[in-house]
Amino acid sequence: MHLTDVQLNEYLDNETPERAQIESHLSSCDECAARLTALRALFAEIESLPELTLSRNIAARFALSPSLPAPLPRWLTLTATLQAALALIAIIIAAPFVMNLLPAIETPSFTDVFVQIQSQWIALLDILSQIQMPTLPEIPVIELSSLVITLTIAGVSMLWLVGNGLLLRNQIK
Amino acid sequence: MTAPTDRDLILRARRGGDADKADAFGELVTRYQTNVFNVCYRILHERGEAEDLAQETFMRAYDRLNTFDLEREFGPWIRRVAANLCLNHLESQKTTAELDVERDADESQKPEAITEVRERSEQIREALASLPPQYRVVVELRHYQEMSYDEIAAELKIPLSDVKSHLFRARKILAEKLHASD
Repeated sequence: MHLTDVQLNEYLDNETPERAQIESHLSSCDECAARLTALRALFAEIESLPELTLSRNIAARFALSPSLPAPLPRWLTLTATLQAALALIAIIIAAPFVMNLLPAIETPSFTDVFVQIQSQWIALLDILSQIQMPTLPEIPVIELSSLVITLTIAGVSMLWLVGNGLLLRNQIK
Repeated sequence: MTAPTDRDLILRARRGGDADKADAFGELVTRYQTNVFNVCYRILHERGEAEDLAQETFMRAYDRLNTFDLEREFGPWIRRVAANLCLNHLESQKTTAELDVERDADESQKPEAITEVRERSEQIREALASLPPQYRVVVELRHYQEMSYDEIAAELKIPLSDVKSHLFRARKILAEKLHASD
């Protein structure tokens, strides 16, 4: 009694609970062993197909920039974190000394600063009002017929369409 | 400097703004587009259609990114999505005659002097393309995506007995076609 095709298929697929019995039969039956070899060769042939390359880059449709910026190296992230922690500690230590020094420094009030800015702004406006602007030459009025205007608009539209068509040609592909 | 993992890219694509999302997903597409295209090409055996379906696969994945289970691996998942999409595509066509015409057209474009390996590959591809759509997909999932019978049954939502019969019949047809052409 020979092995069935189902048994041979399941054996090669590692999907049978009767491996030991099948192997025992195969060791004593040349015909079944030959059938198994042929099936194994078919598997190898099916799986031998080479990978083909794409003729277009699908990723281009999704990616806005050509390459993805690599993440920061771990050492740099750790150094930056350490620096931030040290800076925070330095601020905490320095805070009492700075608080002692603050009353000694005379700071102008908000009103003083506002009045100063306002007076400077008024002075700037005065300077600007004294500037004489040169008189512009009169622009001759060109009378265009409706035909010329229509043709110009049509021409510009055509240029716009052709230009955009050329720019988007690769995207449409 | 290590490249970001697929998981990192998926998280970036989920959390980032539009530009970051597109950037991260674009990198995922770059990594898997050849794989996905080959899945489609093995099932469809027509380059233009395979490229279109590969693109469609990534568009579906992009839409489903927020519900993707991060415990799963992106590569095997996207290849299964592609196989399913190709099966649906073939079943919606149901016109094998048209496919044959396209295959012949493809073949006629090939240069005269092709190597023996290429010739044999083409014979295998043609034999695969001659299988009914369900058989093709089962072969794809078993031989190229190395899925178990149970996994294939779950993926295609068909009984285990169908998986076995599709696979074994497909192999029988392939053996006949490939030996006949020897």
